[in-house]
Amino acid sequence: MLITRQLALIALLLLCPALASALESSENLTQTDSWSESEGNEWDNEDWGSDEESEHIIHGFVEAAYGTRLHSNQWLDRHDTLNEARLRLDYSHYFGAVYGSYKGDFLVDDLAWNGPFIETQTREALLRFSFSQNSDIQLGRQILTWGTGDLVFLNDLFPKNWVAFFSGREMEYLKAPSDAIKFSYFNKLANIDLVWSPEFDPDTYMRGERFSYFSPLADSIVAAPPRLSVDEPDTGLDDGELALRLYKTIKGYEWAVYGYHGYFKSPVGFDPRSGLNYFPKLSSVGASVRGTVGRGIGNMEIAWYQSEQDRDGTDPFIPNSQLRFLSGYEQELITRLTLGLQYYLEWTQDYDQLKDNSLLPDKEPEEYRHVLTTRINYRSPQEKLTLSLFVFYSPTDDDFFALPKLIYRLSDSWSSEVGINIMGGKEDFTFFGQFEENSSVFTRIRYSF
Amino acid sequence: MKNLPNLIGLIVLAFVTNLALADETDVEQIVSQANHVAFYQGKDGRAESRMLITDGGGNKQVRQFTILRKDRLTKDNSTQNDADQDFLVLFSRPADVRNTLFRVVKHTDTDDDRWLYLPGLGLVKRISSGDKRTSFVGSHFFYEDISGRSLTADKHEIIETTDQHYVVKNIPLNPNSVEFASYTVWIDKHNWMPVKTEYTDSAGKVYRRIEALKIEDIDGFATATRMQASDLRSGGSTLTEMRYIQYDLGLPDDIFSERSLRNPPQQWFKRK
Repeated sequence: MLITRQLALIALLLLCPALASALESSENLTQTDSWSESEGNEWDNEDWGSDEESEHIIHGFVEAAYGTRLHSNQWLDRHDTLNEARLRLDYSHYFGAVYGSYKGDFLVDDLAWNGPFIETQTREALLRFSFSQNSDIQLGRQILTWGTGDLVFLNDLFPKNWVAFFSGREMEYLKAPSDAIKFSYFNKLANIDLVWSPEFDPDTYMRGERFSYFSPLADSIVAAPPRLSVDEPDTGLDDGELALRLYKTIKGYEWAVYGYHGYFKSPVGFDPRSGLNYFPKLSSVGASVRGTVGRGIGNMEIAWYQSEQDRDGTDPFIPNSQLRFLSGYEQELITRLTLGLQYYLEWTQDYDQLKDNSLLPDKEPEEYRHVLTTRINYRSPQEKLTLSLFVFYSPTDDDFFALPKLIYRLSDSWSSEVGINIMGGKEDFTFFGQFEENSSVFTRIRYSF
Repeated sequence: MKNLPNLIGLIVLAFVTNLALADETDVEQIVSQANHVAFYQGKDGRAESRMLITDGGGNKQVRQFTILRKDRLTKDNSTQNDADQDFLVLFSRPADVRNTLFRVVKHTDTDDDRWLYLPGLGLVKRISSGDKRTSFVGSHFFYEDISGRSLTADKHEIIETTDQHYVVKNIPLNPNSVEFASYTVWIDKHNWMPVKTEYTDSAGKVYRRIEALKIEDIDGFATATRMQASDLRSGGSTLTEMRYIQYDLGLPDDIFSERSLRNPPQQWFKRK
């Protein structure tokens, strides 16, 4: 069974570029025709595409993706970690002054918990309009992002899909959509973004279906079944999330302050009475700055996470408050080769209370958890090939996560990607160390239209 | 009042003398005029651009985008000085980069500021400006070919004046920062358009060429509407065509902002 799957992977790896280049050459023929050296070397007006104003064009892509573990996982039967085919449809249009956009995925996921079946995932369904010269409203399902980190998020508490990220889906899927109203006001003093999500949008967190993880309650690595049982927050109008950003650019430096009121994005709380995990309340405030430093871009970001239900840090079933800090720098070292470095700190407050009350005091992260990240990015001269390596390393946890990746654009329509997620560490309970058995290799081929 | 014709005569004479001087001697004035014509026509502008990229093996790719440009004024807001500029570039082709936005603040005395908006992630990414002599969106045009090269980066010398052209040789003041040993520009005497540029390597061999294949008068401004960049070593080349060009639209300053990256100003991007 195992060998069959590996063969299938190799076949996919070999077949995709071959298939793509075959299709590419047929495409080239038609392109050459439309660019033919006709009279005056003019292109047809149609080749420019008409203004999207008057056209109704559906864009999107078709994609197949496969990923498999680097070594077997004793807690999970399945060796594959990604096995899906996906159709994306994307339509946007200006209806007068109102912009409407829809992006939906139609997915057959062989690893779906109850699947496989055709699943519809609406990624974006929004309306956007300006109700005065200085203000915009964006309403509906949308992808929301702010902050300055590279794969490290402090003040961006919008939902992430960590399962997508660790399984090797396209990077876009790391950001999960929110059902929200975003109100933006622009003025000389400072611009304001206010986002209200009436219903809490949690992260898609590890729940043992695809990947095993460390459970402090079991004091061991676990996986589904049984799935992690979680108590979701209520759905009343005052049970949602509120996020705020004030920002202003001064002499090329982008300054911002942030606020958030909602919940921890994964169910890190545990209720011993019900036996259910839940999302404890969280508030945060923070700030960031980004701008040119020397020959590159520097950024700094800070956030205070207030654990609202455990302010004194004595409840062992709720995380303590934390101060988080990030500093980063990115520069093109030589032509088309970029190096990015980040230092990230999580400073857990009331650490003595945490240790005194913890069920597993020896397995708590250190008071100061340090993480270093490196990104090396190389683009070939015509930007067809991109090689990248991203590494997280924590000297305090003694664990790491390395993500080498190769992206190749075969043509304007066909692109492919191969990558490896390697997690490891000295202990099996640390942030990345717990995922050691989930290390995987993945590949994808995509046709965009 | 009756002296007015004399005064006009004097001004015309001065102007003509000036031109004549430029004609023969003032290379700085010639390159600066060519720079103005190539990159600073009008106070602002809009254009749709399409690139056909052909690599040495004959494989073809297409890029299509709409550019909005506005020149920044001098500090006292009085005049244009052919220096800093704001750009917004909205990509429409190929499909995988559709709706990606690129924002650049071009600075002539320091590194440019660059931002990229990635619609899939909702992310405004700041990019370090890096080497300007590298491919623009995978084409054979470099960033510098699109946005201009600092006039103070090279030593300029007129090597030939023909009926049609001033031929100017340019030698970099800092040879280690560029891939060429020198480049030669043919500047059209009548409209100041740089119509051909050839880059020479240290062996004295021409390895790269940029040509303006078609020049049109648009709103009174000479505009290169069809250009080609050729890599003579690999045999690859990129053909660019510009359409739907407008000058002096009165673009407001505040559209060159993060707001526009997340919410492109349709009023200005849409074809009129």
